[in-house]
Amino acid sequence: MNAFAACCLGVAAVVVAEMFLPGHDTYHTGWFNVALLALGIAAVVLARREFARARSAGARGAIVAAAFGAAVLALAGTASGLLAPDNRTIVGAPGQRVRVDDLGGSLIYPPADASPIGANAAQTIVLERGARDVPLGERGRIAGSFILRPSLRQVVFVEARDDRGARLTVTQPSGSAFLSPVLLMQQRQTIAGFNVPYDSFAVPAAHRLVRAVMFSEQEASVMHGLSGGSGPAVLFAVDDESDRPLPHAIDAARSGATVGLAGLELRGTVFSYPAVEIVAIPSPPAIVAGTLLLLSALGVTVFARTAPTRN
Amino acid sequence: MSARVVWLVAAVAGVIAAIVIVAPFFSPSSDRPAGPAGFAGEPAPVYALRDDAGMPVSLAHYRGRIVVMNLWGTWCPPCRAEMPELQRLADTYASRGLTVVGVNQGESAQSARAFATALAIRYPIWLDDGQQYGRAFTALGLPTTVVVGRDGIVVHGYDGALTYDQLRAAVNGLAVTR
Repeated sequence: MNAFAACCLGVAAVVVAEMFLPGHDTYHTGWFNVALLALGIAAVVLARREFARARSAGARGAIVAAAFGAAVLALAGTASGLLAPDNRTIVGAPGQRVRVDDLGGSLIYPPADASPIGANAAQTIVLERGARDVPLGERGRIAGSFILRPSLRQVVFVEARDDRGARLTVTQPSGSAFLSPVLLMQQRQTIAGFNVPYDSFAVPAAHRLVRAVMFSEQEASVMHGLSGGSGPAVLFAVDDESDRPLPHAIDAARSGATVGLAGLELRGTVFSYPAVEIVAIPSPPAIVAGTLLLLSALGVTVFARTAPTRN
Repeated sequence: MSARVVWLVAAVAGVIAAIVIVAPFFSPSSDRPAGPAGFAGEPAPVYALRDDAGMPVSLAHYRGRIVVMNLWGTWCPPCRAEMPELQRLADTYASRGLTVVGVNQGESAQSARAFATALAIRYPIWLDDGQQYGRAFTALGLPTTVVVGRDGIVVHGYDGALTYDQLRAAVNGLAVTR
Protein backbone atom coordinates (compact mmCIF):
# COMPACT_ATOMS: atom_id res chain seq x y z
CA MET A 1 0.00 0.00 0.00
CA ASN A 2 2.82 2.36 0.84
CA ALA A 3 4.37 2.13 -2.63
CA PHE A 4 0.97 2.62 -4.27
CA ALA A 5 0.17 5.65 -2.13
CA ALA A 6 3.66 7.06 -2.70
CA CYS A 7 3.29 6.78 -6.48
CA CYS A 8 -0.16 8.43 -6.40
CA LEU A 9 0.99 11.26 -4.16
CA GLY A 10 4.18 11.67 -6.22
CA VAL A 11 2.15 12.15 -9.41
CA ALA A 12 -0.16 14.61 -7.66
CA ALA A 13 2.75 16.60 -6.21
CA VAL A 14 4.52 16.93 -9.57
CA VAL A 15 1.42 17.98 -11.50
CA VAL A 16 0.19 20.41 -8.83
CA ALA A 17 3.70 21.93 -8.84
CA GLU A 18 3.39 22.43 -12.61
CA MET A 19 0.18 24.32 -11.91
CA PHE A 20 1.41 26.54 -9.10
CA LEU A 21 5.04 27.00 -10.19
CA PRO A 22 4.46 27.27 -13.92
CA GLY A 23 6.85 28.14 -16.69
CA HIS A 24 9.95 26.04 -15.93
CA ASP A 25 11.65 24.66 -19.03
CA THR A 26 12.06 21.33 -17.21
CA TYR A 27 8.35 20.62 -17.64
CA HIS A 28 8.84 20.32 -21.39
CA THR A 29 11.87 18.01 -21.28
CA GLY A 30 11.59 14.38 -22.37
CA TRP A 31 13.07 12.82 -19.21
CA PHE A 32 10.68 14.74 -16.97
CA ASN A 33 7.61 13.59 -18.86
CA VAL A 34 8.82 10.01 -19.21
CA ALA A 35 9.39 9.95 -15.43
CA LEU A 36 5.94 11.41 -14.76
CA LEU A 37 4.26 8.93 -17.07
CA ALA A 38 6.23 6.05 -15.52
CA LEU A 39 5.06 7.16 -12.08
CA GLY A 40 1.46 7.15 -13.29
CA ILE A 41 1.84 3.68 -14.87
CA ALA A 42 3.47 2.40 -11.68
CA ALA A 43 0.48 3.70 -9.70
CA VAL A 44 -1.94 1.79 -11.93
CA VAL A 45 0.13 -1.42 -11.81
CA LEU A 46 0.47 -1.26 -8.03
CA ALA A 47 -3.24 -0.54 -7.77
CA ARG A 48 -4.02 -3.92 -9.35
CA ARG A 49 -1.96 -5.63 -6.64
CA GLU A 50 -3.66 -3.64 -3.89
CA PHE A 51 -7.04 -4.37 -5.45
CA ALA A 52 -6.42 -8.11 -5.19
CA ARG A 53 -5.48 -7.76 -1.52
CA ALA A 54 -8.43 -5.54 -0.56
CA ARG A 55 -10.96 -7.11 1.75
CA SER A 56 -14.07 -5.05 1.06
CA ALA A 57 -15.86 -3.67 -1.98
CA GLY A 58 -15.45 -0.14 -0.62
CA ALA A 59 -11.68 -0.52 -0.33
CA ARG A 60 -11.47 -1.92 -3.85
CA GLY A 61 -13.53 0.99 -5.17
CA ALA A 62 -11.27 3.47 -3.40
CA ILE A 63 -8.15 1.87 -4.91
CA VAL A 64 -9.59 2.04 -8.42
CA ALA A 65 -10.61 5.66 -7.86
CA ALA A 66 -7.15 6.61 -6.58
CA ALA A 67 -5.47 4.89 -9.51
CA PHE A 68 -7.83 6.62 -11.91
CA GLY A 69 -7.08 10.00 -10.32
CA ALA A 70 -3.33 9.38 -10.57
CA ALA A 71 -3.66 8.33 -14.21
CA VAL A 72 -5.66 11.47 -15.06
CA LEU A 73 -3.08 13.68 -13.34
CA ALA A 74 -0.13 11.95 -15.04
CA LEU A 75 -1.84 12.23 -18.39
CA ALA A 76 -2.67 15.91 -17.90
CA GLY A 77 0.92 16.68 -16.89
CA THR A 78 2.49 14.68 -19.72
CA ALA A 79 0.11 16.10 -22.34
CA SER A 80 0.97 19.63 -21.24
CA GLY A 81 4.68 18.88 -21.13
CA LEU A 82 4.93 17.18 -24.52
CA LEU A 83 2.13 18.71 -26.59
CA ALA A 84 1.78 22.28 -25.31
CA PRO A 85 4.04 24.95 -26.79
CA ASP A 86 7.03 26.29 -24.87
CA ASN A 87 6.69 29.58 -23.01
CA ARG A 88 6.47 32.51 -25.38
CA THR A 89 5.79 36.19 -25.23
CA ILE A 90 3.23 37.64 -27.61
CA VAL A 91 4.13 41.22 -28.47
CA GLY A 92 1.56 43.37 -30.24
CA ALA A 93 1.34 46.93 -31.46
CA PRO A 94 -1.13 49.31 -29.79
CA GLY A 95 -4.62 48.75 -31.15
CA GLN A 96 -3.59 45.48 -32.77
CA ARG A 97 -5.60 42.28 -32.51
CA VAL A 98 -3.34 39.22 -32.48
CA ARG A 99 -4.92 35.84 -33.11
CA VAL A 100 -3.51 33.08 -30.85
CA ASP A 101 -4.82 29.70 -31.99
CA ASP A 102 -3.75 27.93 -28.78
CA LEU A 103 -6.08 30.20 -26.82
CA GLY A 104 -8.91 29.88 -29.32
CA GLY A 105 -9.15 33.67 -29.43
CA SER A 106 -7.37 36.94 -29.97
CA LEU A 107 -5.39 39.31 -27.78
CA ILE A 108 -6.45 42.92 -28.23
CA TYR A 109 -3.71 45.38 -27.34
CA PRO A 110 -4.71 48.72 -25.81
CA PRO A 111 -4.31 51.88 -27.86
CA ALA A 112 -1.45 54.28 -27.23
CA ASP A 113 -0.77 57.46 -29.12
CA ALA A 114 1.76 60.25 -28.92
CA SER A 115 0.10 62.55 -26.42
CA PRO A 116 -1.29 60.47 -23.56
CA ILE A 117 1.24 57.64 -23.79
CA GLY A 118 1.60 57.16 -20.07
CA ALA A 119 -2.12 56.94 -19.37
CA ASN A 120 -3.01 54.75 -22.31
CA ALA A 121 -0.14 52.35 -21.93
CA ALA A 122 -1.42 51.42 -18.48
CA GLN A 123 -4.52 49.93 -20.05
CA THR A 124 -4.82 46.21 -19.99
CA ILE A 125 -4.72 43.67 -22.79
CA VAL A 126 -8.05 41.99 -23.48
CA LEU A 127 -8.51 38.34 -24.40
CA GLU A 128 -11.36 37.95 -26.87
CA ARG A 129 -12.84 34.45 -27.03
CA GLY A 130 -16.04 34.09 -28.98
CA ALA A 131 -18.38 36.84 -27.85
CA ARG A 132 -16.56 37.32 -24.53
CA ASP A 133 -13.94 39.99 -23.84
CA VAL A 134 -11.85 39.20 -20.78
CA PRO A 135 -9.39 41.84 -19.49
CA LEU A 136 -6.15 40.19 -18.36
CA GLY A 137 -5.49 42.68 -15.57
CA GLU A 138 -2.12 43.14 -13.92
CA ARG A 139 -1.95 39.65 -12.41
CA GLY A 140 -2.95 37.77 -15.55
CA ARG A 141 -5.37 34.89 -15.69
CA ILE A 142 -5.85 31.26 -16.64
CA ALA A 143 -7.29 30.62 -20.09
CA GLY A 144 -7.83 26.95 -20.92
CA SER A 145 -4.55 25.13 -20.33
CA PHE A 146 -2.49 28.31 -20.26
CA ILE A 147 -1.60 31.03 -17.82
CA LEU A 148 -1.46 34.48 -19.40
CA ARG A 149 0.99 36.78 -17.62
CA PRO A 150 1.17 40.43 -18.70
CA SER A 151 4.55 42.09 -18.51
CA LEU A 152 5.75 45.56 -19.44
CA ARG A 153 8.33 46.11 -22.18
CA GLN A 154 10.04 49.27 -23.33
CA VAL A 155 8.91 50.36 -26.79
CA VAL A 156 9.42 53.54 -28.81
CA PHE A 157 6.80 55.82 -30.35
CA VAL A 158 8.38 57.56 -33.34
CA GLU A 159 7.28 60.72 -35.06
CA ALA A 160 8.73 62.01 -38.32
CA ARG A 161 8.37 65.49 -39.82
CA ASP A 162 9.87 67.09 -42.87
CA ASP A 163 12.15 70.13 -42.63
CA ARG A 164 9.06 72.42 -42.76
CA GLY A 165 7.55 70.65 -39.76
CA ALA A 166 4.83 68.76 -41.68
CA ARG A 167 4.06 65.40 -40.11
CA LEU A 168 4.89 62.33 -42.22
CA THR A 169 3.54 58.78 -42.31
CA VAL A 170 5.67 56.18 -40.54
CA THR A 171 5.52 52.59 -41.80
CA GLN A 172 7.13 49.36 -40.74
CA PRO A 173 7.51 47.21 -43.87
CA SER A 174 9.04 44.37 -41.85
CA GLY A 175 7.22 44.98 -38.57
CA SER A 176 4.21 43.24 -37.06
CA ALA A 177 1.96 46.16 -38.02
CA PHE A 178 2.70 48.00 -41.27
CA LEU A 179 1.14 51.30 -40.28
CA SER A 180 2.32 51.50 -36.69
CA PRO A 181 4.51 54.32 -35.37
CA VAL A 182 5.21 52.23 -32.28
CA LEU A 183 8.45 50.28 -32.62
CA LEU A 184 8.30 47.07 -30.60
CA MET A 185 12.10 46.76 -30.37
CA GLN A 186 12.27 42.98 -30.61
CA GLN A 187 15.73 42.69 -32.16
CA ARG A 188 19.03 43.25 -30.39
CA GLN A 189 22.52 44.27 -31.38
CA THR A 190 25.73 45.08 -29.55
CA ILE A 191 26.97 48.66 -29.69
CA ALA A 192 29.99 49.80 -27.67
CA GLY A 193 29.65 46.80 -25.40
CA PHE A 194 25.94 47.33 -24.77
CA ASN A 195 23.47 44.73 -25.98
CA VAL A 196 20.62 47.02 -26.95
CA PRO A 197 17.21 46.59 -28.63
CA TYR A 198 16.59 48.08 -32.05
CA ASP A 199 13.93 48.29 -34.70
CA SER A 200 13.50 50.02 -38.03
CA PHE A 201 10.88 52.00 -39.88
CA ALA A 202 10.34 53.79 -43.17
CA VAL A 203 9.26 57.31 -44.01
CA PRO A 204 7.96 56.69 -47.54
CA ALA A 205 7.12 60.33 -48.31
CA ALA A 206 10.79 61.24 -47.76
CA HIS A 207 12.17 58.01 -49.28
CA ARG A 208 14.03 57.21 -46.08
CA LEU A 209 14.65 54.08 -44.01
CA VAL A 210 15.49 54.66 -40.35
CA ARG A 211 16.98 52.36 -37.74
CA ALA A 212 16.18 53.23 -34.12
CA VAL A 213 18.33 51.89 -31.29
CA MET A 214 17.12 52.23 -27.72
CA PHE A 215 19.44 52.86 -24.76
CA SER A 216 18.30 52.54 -21.17
CA GLU A 217 18.76 55.43 -18.77
CA GLN A 218 21.87 53.77 -17.35
CA GLU A 219 23.40 53.18 -20.78
CA ALA A 220 22.50 56.68 -21.92
CA SER A 221 24.24 58.17 -18.88
CA VAL A 222 27.65 57.19 -20.29
CA MET A 223 26.95 58.32 -23.87
CA HIS A 224 28.77 61.43 -25.06
CA GLY A 225 26.97 64.41 -26.53
CA LEU A 226 23.52 63.70 -25.15
CA SER A 227 21.90 66.83 -23.87
CA GLY A 228 18.98 67.33 -21.56
CA GLY A 229 19.00 65.69 -18.16
CA SER A 230 18.38 62.00 -17.67
CA GLY A 231 16.24 59.20 -19.06
CA PRO A 232 16.53 56.66 -21.87
CA ALA A 233 17.77 57.66 -25.30
CA VAL A 234 17.08 56.75 -28.90
CA LEU A 235 19.73 56.69 -31.61
CA PHE A 236 18.53 57.16 -35.19
CA ALA A 237 20.47 56.13 -38.29
CA VAL A 238 18.92 57.27 -41.58
CA ASP A 239 19.48 55.47 -44.89
CA ASP A 240 18.08 56.16 -48.34
CA GLU A 241 15.31 53.93 -49.64
CA SER A 242 17.88 51.53 -51.10
CA ASP A 243 19.27 51.01 -47.60
CA ARG A 244 22.45 53.00 -48.32
CA PRO A 245 23.70 55.04 -45.36
CA LEU A 246 23.53 58.80 -45.81
CA PRO A 247 26.34 61.13 -44.67
CA HIS A 248 25.95 62.76 -41.25
CA ALA A 249 22.72 60.86 -40.67
CA ILE A 250 23.33 59.27 -37.27
CA ASP A 251 22.44 60.97 -34.03
CA ALA A 252 20.92 60.23 -30.65
CA ALA A 253 18.60 62.14 -28.36
CA ARG A 254 16.89 61.62 -25.05
CA SER A 255 13.41 60.15 -25.11
CA GLY A 256 10.96 62.83 -26.27
CA ALA A 257 13.62 65.09 -27.81
CA THR A 258 13.89 65.78 -31.54
CA VAL A 259 16.91 65.30 -33.80
CA GLY A 260 17.30 66.66 -37.32
CA LEU A 261 18.83 64.17 -39.77
CA ALA A 262 18.92 63.97 -43.58
CA GLY A 263 15.98 66.32 -44.06
CA LEU A 264 13.89 64.70 -41.33
CA GLU A 265 12.95 65.78 -37.83
CA LEU A 266 12.76 62.58 -35.79
CA ARG A 267 11.45 62.13 -32.29
CA GLY A 268 11.42 58.88 -30.32
CA THR A 269 9.51 58.57 -27.07
CA VAL A 270 10.30 55.55 -24.92
CA PHE A 271 7.43 54.15 -22.89
CA SER A 272 6.32 50.94 -21.24
CA TYR A 273 3.77 48.86 -23.07
CA PRO A 274 2.27 45.50 -22.11
CA ALA A 275 3.06 42.17 -23.72
CA VAL A 276 1.69 38.76 -22.73
CA GLU A 277 3.70 35.72 -21.71
CA ILE A 278 1.83 32.50 -22.44
CA VAL A 279 2.77 29.60 -20.17
CA ALA A 280 1.30 26.11 -20.56
CA ILE A 281 -0.09 24.33 -17.51
CA PRO A 282 -1.84 20.96 -17.17
CA SER A 283 -5.58 21.17 -17.76
CA PRO A 284 -7.04 22.78 -14.58
CA PRO A 285 -10.30 20.73 -14.63
CA ALA A 286 -8.22 17.53 -14.93
CA ILE A 287 -6.01 18.62 -12.03
CA VAL A 288 -8.96 19.44 -9.79
CA ALA A 289 -10.86 16.26 -10.67
CA GLY A 290 -7.79 14.00 -10.47
CA THR A 291 -6.54 15.46 -7.19
CA LEU A 292 -9.94 15.31 -5.49
CA LEU A 293 -10.50 11.75 -6.66
CA LEU A 294 -7.05 10.63 -5.61
CA LEU A 295 -6.98 12.28 -2.19
CA SER A 296 -10.51 11.31 -1.21
CA ALA A 297 -9.90 7.70 -2.32
CA LEU A 298 -6.62 7.50 -0.41
CA GLY A 299 -8.36 8.99 2.61
CA VAL A 300 -11.10 6.36 2.45
CA THR A 301 -8.52 3.59 2.11
CA VAL A 302 -6.47 4.79 5.07
CA PHE A 303 -9.62 5.24 7.15
CA ALA A 304 -10.81 1.70 6.26
CA ARG A 305 -7.43 0.26 7.30
CA THR A 306 -7.20 2.08 10.61
CA ALA A 307 -10.86 1.68 11.62
CA PRO A 308 -11.45 -1.14 14.16
CA THR A 309 -12.76 -4.31 12.57
CA ARG A 310 -16.23 -5.42 13.73
CA ASN A 311 -16.77 -9.08 14.59
CA MET B 1 -19.23 -6.69 -9.98
CA SER B 2 -16.15 -8.73 -10.92
CA ALA B 3 -12.64 -7.30 -10.82
CA ARG B 4 -12.37 -7.62 -14.58
CA VAL B 5 -15.47 -5.48 -15.14
CA VAL B 6 -14.27 -2.84 -12.66
CA TRP B 7 -10.93 -2.49 -14.43
CA LEU B 8 -12.62 -2.47 -17.84
CA VAL B 9 -14.90 0.40 -16.78
CA ALA B 10 -11.89 2.25 -15.35
CA ALA B 11 -9.96 1.74 -18.58
CA VAL B 12 -12.83 3.06 -20.71
CA ALA B 13 -13.17 6.08 -18.41
CA GLY B 14 -9.40 6.57 -18.70
CA VAL B 15 -9.53 6.58 -22.49
CA ILE B 16 -12.36 9.14 -22.43
CA ALA B 17 -10.40 11.30 -19.97
CA ALA B 18 -7.31 11.02 -22.19
CA ILE B 19 -9.25 12.20 -25.22
CA VAL B 20 -10.73 15.13 -23.27
CA ILE B 21 -7.30 16.14 -21.93
CA VAL B 22 -5.37 15.80 -25.19
CA ALA B 23 -7.99 17.09 -27.66
CA PRO B 24 -7.42 20.83 -27.00
CA PHE B 25 -3.83 20.49 -28.22
CA PHE B 26 -5.08 19.42 -31.63
CA SER B 27 -7.71 22.12 -32.14
CA PRO B 28 -7.82 23.44 -35.70
CA SER B 29 -5.95 26.64 -36.43
CA SER B 30 -7.72 29.78 -37.51
CA ASP B 31 -8.30 30.27 -41.23
CA ARG B 32 -8.90 33.96 -40.77
CA PRO B 33 -7.26 35.83 -43.66
CA ALA B 34 -4.41 38.25 -42.94
CA GLY B 35 -4.88 41.98 -43.24
CA PRO B 36 -8.11 43.97 -43.44
CA ALA B 37 -10.08 41.10 -45.01
CA GLY B 38 -9.83 39.28 -41.68
CA PHE B 39 -11.94 41.97 -40.04
CA ALA B 40 -15.18 41.04 -41.78
CA GLY B 41 -17.78 40.40 -39.09
CA GLU B 42 -15.91 42.36 -36.39
CA PRO B 43 -17.07 45.68 -34.99
CA ALA B 44 -15.16 48.57 -36.53
CA PRO B 45 -13.08 50.35 -33.87
CA VAL B 46 -14.22 53.88 -33.08
CA TYR B 47 -11.49 56.46 -32.50
CA ALA B 48 -11.87 60.16 -31.81
CA LEU B 49 -10.12 61.90 -34.73
CA ARG B 50 -10.17 65.32 -36.35
CA ASP B 51 -10.93 66.19 -39.94
CA ASP B 52 -8.71 68.34 -42.16
CA ALA B 53 -10.52 71.45 -40.89
CA GLY B 54 -9.73 70.54 -37.29
CA MET B 55 -13.27 69.46 -36.36
CA PRO B 56 -13.73 66.37 -34.15
CA VAL B 57 -15.04 63.35 -36.07
CA SER B 58 -15.87 59.76 -35.21
CA LEU B 59 -17.26 56.69 -36.88
CA ALA B 60 -19.95 56.67 -34.19
CA HIS B 61 -21.59 59.69 -35.86
CA TYR B 62 -22.24 57.57 -38.96
CA ARG B 63 -24.15 54.73 -37.32
CA GLY B 64 -27.09 53.87 -39.59
CA ARG B 65 -25.11 54.66 -42.74
CA ILE B 66 -22.77 52.50 -44.77
CA VAL B 67 -19.26 53.88 -44.43
CA VAL B 68 -16.48 53.18 -46.89
CA MET B 69 -13.27 53.98 -45.00
CA ASN B 70 -10.31 54.51 -47.28
CA LEU B 71 -6.91 54.64 -45.57
CA TRP B 72 -4.48 56.68 -47.65
CA GLY B 73 -1.32 58.78 -47.76
CA THR B 74 -0.14 61.55 -50.07
CA TRP B 75 3.04 59.61 -50.85
CA CYS B 76 1.13 56.59 -52.13
CA PRO B 77 0.65 56.52 -55.96
CA PRO B 78 -2.14 53.89 -55.92
CA CYS B 79 -4.06 56.09 -53.47
CA ARG B 80 -3.93 58.96 -55.95
CA ALA B 81 -5.32 56.67 -58.66
CA GLU B 82 -8.09 55.32 -56.45
CA MET B 83 -9.43 58.50 -54.86
CA PRO B 84 -11.35 59.78 -57.93
CA GLU B 85 -13.06 56.38 -58.10
CA LEU B 86 -14.07 56.75 -54.47
CA GLN B 87 -15.42 60.24 -55.17
CA ARG B 88 -17.55 58.78 -57.96
CA LEU B 89 -18.86 56.13 -55.57
CA ALA B 90 -19.64 58.80 -52.96
CA ASP B 91 -21.57 60.86 -55.52
CA THR B 92 -23.52 57.88 -56.86
CA TYR B 93 -24.53 56.35 -53.54
CA ALA B 94 -24.90 59.34 -51.23
CA SER B 95 -28.69 59.27 -51.52
CA ARG B 96 -28.71 55.57 -50.62
CA GLY B 97 -27.13 56.05 -47.23
CA LEU B 98 -23.47 55.61 -48.12
CA THR B 99 -20.61 57.83 -46.98
CA VAL B 100 -17.02 57.64 -48.15
CA VAL B 101 -14.38 58.80 -45.67
CA GLY B 102 -10.70 59.24 -46.50
CA VAL B 103 -8.60 58.49 -43.43
CA ASN B 104 -5.16 59.97 -43.92
CA GLN B 105 -2.45 58.02 -42.13
CA GLY B 106 -0.13 60.17 -40.08
CA GLU B 107 0.28 63.31 -42.21
CA SER B 108 -0.36 66.98 -41.57
CA ALA B 109 -3.73 68.57 -42.27
CA GLN B 110 -2.15 70.95 -44.75
CA SER B 111 -0.60 68.17 -46.84
CA ALA B 112 -3.75 66.06 -46.78
CA ARG B 113 -6.03 68.99 -47.67
CA ALA B 114 -3.80 70.18 -50.52
CA PHE B 115 -3.64 66.69 -51.97
CA ALA B 116 -7.40 66.16 -51.76
CA THR B 117 -8.13 69.57 -53.25
CA ALA B 118 -5.80 68.90 -56.17
CA LEU B 119 -7.76 65.72 -56.93
CA ALA B 120 -11.16 67.48 -56.50
CA ILE B 121 -12.06 65.21 -53.58
CA ARG B 122 -15.18 66.38 -51.73
CA TYR B 123 -15.79 63.49 -49.34
CA PRO B 124 -14.66 63.98 -45.72
CA ILE B 125 -10.95 63.71 -45.02
CA TRP B 126 -10.02 62.56 -41.52
CA LEU B 127 -6.58 62.81 -39.99
CA ASP B 128 -5.40 59.69 -38.16
CA ASP B 129 -2.26 61.13 -36.54
CA GLY B 130 -1.40 57.97 -34.61
CA GLN B 131 -2.23 55.72 -37.60
CA GLN B 132 -4.67 53.94 -35.31
CA TYR B 133 -6.95 52.64 -38.04
CA GLY B 134 -3.96 51.37 -39.99
CA ARG B 135 -2.89 49.35 -36.96
CA ALA B 136 -6.37 48.24 -35.98
CA PHE B 137 -7.21 46.96 -39.46
CA THR B 138 -3.72 45.39 -39.74
CA ALA B 139 -3.24 47.20 -43.02
CA LEU B 140 -0.67 45.47 -45.20
CA GLY B 141 -0.07 48.64 -47.19
CA LEU B 142 -1.87 51.67 -48.59
CA PRO B 143 -4.49 52.14 -49.80
CA THR B 144 -6.63 49.98 -47.55
CA THR B 145 -10.40 50.09 -47.84
CA VAL B 146 -12.89 48.84 -45.26
CA VAL B 147 -16.66 48.78 -45.73
CA VAL B 148 -18.57 49.24 -42.48
CA GLY B 149 -22.24 48.30 -42.39
CA ARG B 150 -25.09 50.36 -40.93
CA ASP B 151 -24.67 48.49 -37.64
CA GLY B 152 -20.98 49.37 -37.28
CA ILE B 153 -19.79 45.89 -38.24
CA VAL B 154 -17.07 45.52 -40.87
CA VAL B 155 -18.48 43.89 -43.98
CA HIS B 156 -15.44 43.84 -46.28
CA GLY B 157 -11.76 44.73 -46.05
CA TYR B 158 -9.50 45.23 -49.05
CA ASP B 159 -5.78 45.68 -49.47
CA GLY B 160 -4.71 47.75 -52.49
CA ALA B 161 -6.43 50.12 -54.90
CA LEU B 162 -9.95 49.31 -56.09
CA THR B 163 -11.69 50.35 -59.30
CA TYR B 164 -15.13 51.93 -59.36
CA ASP B 165 -16.66 48.61 -60.46
CA GLN B 166 -15.00 46.76 -57.58
CA LEU B 167 -16.19 49.40 -55.12
CA ARG B 168 -19.70 49.26 -56.50
CA ALA B 169 -19.73 45.47 -56.22
CA ALA B 170 -18.60 45.76 -52.60
CA VAL B 171 -21.42 48.09 -51.55
CA ASN B 172 -24.23 47.28 -53.97
CA GLY B 173 -26.03 44.71 -51.87
CA LEU B 174 -25.71 46.85 -48.76
CA ALA B 175 -26.82 50.12 -50.27
CA VAL B 176 -30.05 48.90 -51.81
CA THR B 177 -31.25 46.58 -49.05
CA ARG B 178 -32.48 48.63 -46.19
